Amino acid sequence: MNRAEWKKTERITRLQEKMLEEPRYASIEQARIITRVYREHEDCSIPVKRALALKAALQEIEISVENEELIVGNRTKGVRAGVIFPESGCSWVDREFETLPTRPQDQFLVREEDIEEFRTSIYPYWKTRSMEEGIREAYGDTIKAIARVVKINQTDHAQGHICPDCAGWLRKGPAGILKEAEDYLKTADADHREFYQCVITVMEGVLDFIERYAVLAEEKGMKRVADNCRAIASHPAHSFYEAVQSIWFLFTILHMESNASSFSPGRIDCWLWPYLKQDLEQGVLREQDALEILECFWLKCNQIVYLRNRNSAKYFAGFPIGFNICIGGVDEEGTDVCNVLSFLCLKAQEHLGLPQPNLSVRLHEHTSSELLQEAIKVVSKGSGMPQFFNDKAIIRAMEDTLGITREDARDYAIVGCVELTTQGNNLGWSDAAMFNLCKALELTLNHGRDLLNGEQLCEDMGGLDTYQNFAELEDAMRQIVDFYIEEMMNAEVVLEQAHQKYLPSAFLSTVINDCMKQGLDVTRGGAHYNLSGIQMIQVANLADSLAAIRQLVFEEHSVSGKEYLDALQADYEGYEILRARILNKVPKYGNDVAWVDELGTRWATYFRSRMNDYVNYRGGKFHTGMYTVSAHVPMGENVGASADGRKALEPLADGGLSPVYGRDLLGPTAVLKSVSRLPDPLTTNGGLLNMKFLPEFFESEEGRIKFEHFLRAFVDLEIPHIQFNVVRREDLLDAKIHPERHRSLTIRVAGYTAYFVELDGKLQDEIIERTSYDNI
Amino acid sequence: MTTSEQGCVFDIKRFAVHDGSGIRTTVFLKGCGMACKWCQNPEGMRSDRQPVWMEHHCIHCGECWKNAREGQMEWNNHSPVIHRDWKGSFDNLIQACPTGALRMDSRTYTVEELMTELKKDQVFYRYGGGVTFSGGEPFLQKEFLLSCLKECHQAGISTAVETALHVDGDAVKEALPYLDEIFADCKHMDSSIHKAFTGVNNELILENLRWLLKHAKIPVTIRTPLIPGYNATPEVIASIAGFLAECSPTVHYELLNYNELAPAKYPMVERDYEPGIRHRFNEAEMESFKEIALAQGLNNVTI
Repeated sequence: MNRAEWKKTERITRLQEKMLEEPRYASIEQARIITRVYREHEDCSIPVKRALALKAALQEIEISVENEELIVGNRTKGVRAGVIFPESGCSWVDREFETLPTRPQDQFLVREEDIEEFRTSIYPYWKTRSMEEGIREAYGDTIKAIARVVKINQTDHAQGHICPDCAGWLRKGPAGILKEAEDYLKTADADHREFYQCVITVMEGVLDFIERYAVLAEEKGMKRVADNCRAIASHPAHSFYEAVQSIWFLFTILHMESNASSFSPGRIDCWLWPYLKQDLEQGVLREQDALEILECFWLKCNQIVYLRNRNSAKYFAGFPIGFNICIGGVDEEGTDVCNVLSFLCLKAQEHLGLPQPNLSVRLHEHTSSELLQEAIKVVSKGSGMPQFFNDKAIIRAMEDTLGITREDARDYAIVGCVELTTQGNNLGWSDAAMFNLCKALELTLNHGRDLLNGEQLCEDMGGLDTYQNFAELEDAMRQIVDFYIEEMMNAEVVLEQAHQKYLPSAFLSTVINDCMKQGLDVTRGGAHYNLSGIQMIQVANLADSLAAIRQLVFEEHSVSGKEYLDALQADYEGYEILRARILNKVPKYGNDVAWVDELGTRWATYFRSRMNDYVNYRGGKFHTGMYTVSAHVPMGENVGASADGRKALEPLADGGLSPVYGRDLLGPTAVLKSVSRLPDPLTTNGGLLNMKFLPEFFESEEGRIKFEHFLRAFVDLEIPHIQFNVVRREDLLDAKIHPERHRSLTIRVAGYTAYFVELDGKLQDEIIERTSYDNI
Repeated sequence: MTTSEQGCVFDIKRFAVHDGSGIRTTVFLKGCGMACKWCQNPEGMRSDRQPVWMEHHCIHCGECWKNAREGQMEWNNHSPVIHRDWKGSFDNLIQACPTGALRMDSRTYTVEELMTELKKDQVFYRYGGGVTFSGGEPFLQKEFLLSCLKECHQAGISTAVETALHVDGDAVKEALPYLDEIFADCKHMDSSIHKAFTGVNNELILENLRWLLKHAKIPVTIRTPLIPGYNATPEVIASIAGFLAECSPTVHYELLNYNELAPAKYPMVERDYEPGIRHRFNEAEMESFKEIALAQGLNNVTI
């Protein structure tokens, strides 16, 4: 390995600039094709219509190739287009089409004639035929009624969040899979014939699609690209270059079929490595060539984005599409997998610094310092990547609580942001729902009424003014949580039925074991593992709230339950002294105070235990995660003043494992200690811990070595996930204006530590002055 | 082993990354025999516990005033003025304050209590970190310090001290077997100037330094905090470096850049911060100080 010679080539720089310059449009092209095919085949079943529509799109959709590209393929002619997808639901497009160029988050340009066509010939057809309509008719009222506590996801789009069987795809190639389906069809019974026929239909489309790229590349004189495309269509991948191209087609087509977020490649330094290893050994490829191919792939991952409605864009800002790539960790035998490709991935991230792919590094006790130091170097660039996952926390929890085999658990990867999955055999449904525990507490304290508008949302179990002791309060809370869990589970059944009916996915099913073997679509339970993940929102605020109530009302008796409830109802207006006492005189989650941390743990553990009482519609298990992308902001807009001193509508804690921002006053080690009190089975669907460091910390080698120690302790503490942001000048400027939000920001020098917000303005300015990335 | 001694601690900082190797917890022991004009921890100078008022935190609610005893404080301009000479406890005021703006500048710990705190980050120490005792002057609480150091070693925790060495040399000698690293200051070679800036002559310090550099078998780092207008001149640095090179040319000598945040804590202790020039040295200036030290024959100088 000769890392010093790895460079970003001019080709990559030019391709990157060109990509970022190109305007982003909303596209109705595929919607037009799908609508036409559905109209032409009214008498066919939905699976057949879906397969024919995908095939038609693969054959007809306009394509393009950039002159210098090494890896080709996209689902639209333009890059980063917002694809409108009708089958799952597009009523929101009808409502919001005109606002796409000007909405606050994730804007897209629109063409007037597209709006016209959408309204006259596309939307009218789907108005009564889409999945969202089906769900709305069957269960819309209930989903709406519980929405303030439970947000049911995927009501108008496909699930996604899948690590396909990339190794199998490369081993067989599309032609091989087509052949496999033909073979299965020969002996299939009546119930399964249609599935295999659908697979054959889409695979024919896939071969056509790849051939179209070969032809176009040939026309443009790009012989190497053309040959590469032809090679992977007709036979399994033989080289690194072929394998990368083949994988990109796989992901492009998955998006064309599902239009869903978070199809993730997973552990590419495992399944792609044999191809690279062989090429390097045979001397047909240099490391630098491999890096360039990889960086072309990296760029590609930024060319498919995901069009979300205005509300969803708030929850998942920045159109994350979730190409999560995972490196490092142990193999099936428990040995470290790290190789040249792992380092090439870090280098690609360092060179490009783009939002995709989402790069993850798996850590364990024997991760090499070399890999860690290289990863830390990339962290210091401030892109928030790579994020780190902990084999020690994750593997055993997956085995113990989800019935996943040791081999599969050791081979785990990440989909989307932080959601955990096995590779190639799992429909994890990791974004099933978000359960707002803070809202459940609000209803517990306020007689089942919404603090924001007084509406009676659930039965009155009592209030903070009536509970005689803390146990009574917790009993009431338990009943409210139970009620909403039951409602949520009923909704999940309806939702999964709808996905089965409206969104069968033949192509996806070819890359999830055991769908092909069983002749069963993935939405019908064809996957080997069938999980559903529920997110618990947000344990940090919950722990802080319960701690404050317990201490002030039931232990010190320094405030009555009635006065406390009055304060919440008044959003603390006129109760500033009480609020100050709550904020400052009660310990908070994130400061290594066991009794506070355990209040959060206790409720998360209770919630998790209730998941065992249910089985999902595909026959699999429910489990839990603790993460939000940006959802802590809109979720907070839904919660009145909370007992932890947070004012109404303010964001909840970010991340999912993180303390409330600014309340972790004892530094990062105390945060890790608090987080480590959450048992690993709570986060088998994923956990998210965000942390910030000043860039100064990474400047010296000594700092980077200490950072490595910190990460090794993170492994020892069995915390599932951690992600680092580097404090920016903007953060410091904001801290000057809003000190209350940044109380934990700490400046450290020898024998001395100070909180930034406690320094006077001039001193703050000096720190701001010297905080920049230039010197890293 | 006695663990009944009590110590007065004005701060415990976890994730201290500038006070020795690895990730450390630094304990700041209260009380110092010197009075350096640039002291960055002025609340550590006095050895007794004092109430402090942090203006930044105050919401001027008057809860303290409502709960005050006669003669304990005044309420002036919507702010508390504490009568520090009040004989008795301030606990009623501290408890009444909802924000923590009124607090004691320190608390007492038994050895056992302190060890409980220090062990909280033990999982982080195992990669080369540990506990650092700083101050104030840690050796002024020598019995407490010694007990803590012994307890740390008993628990497998690596230890360090940061000292100005204006202390009884026996205290240092006694502690040495329980120390894994030592950081000592050397601020000026001229005793009268030293006295003018730090309140004490430097003979005792230099004597302790000589002894330490000759006998210590553990890593020793000598530090000079660079204070503009006091000791941050080529001549002073050259003289310090020359002295050190004579004692032990291989000693680790660290030049600490001026901490411009030092004035921040002075309002809290109701004192004025004197040094007038308050700027950090840039990289080139630091380099040139380093060059000067190297030229005196030292071979391990860091900035």
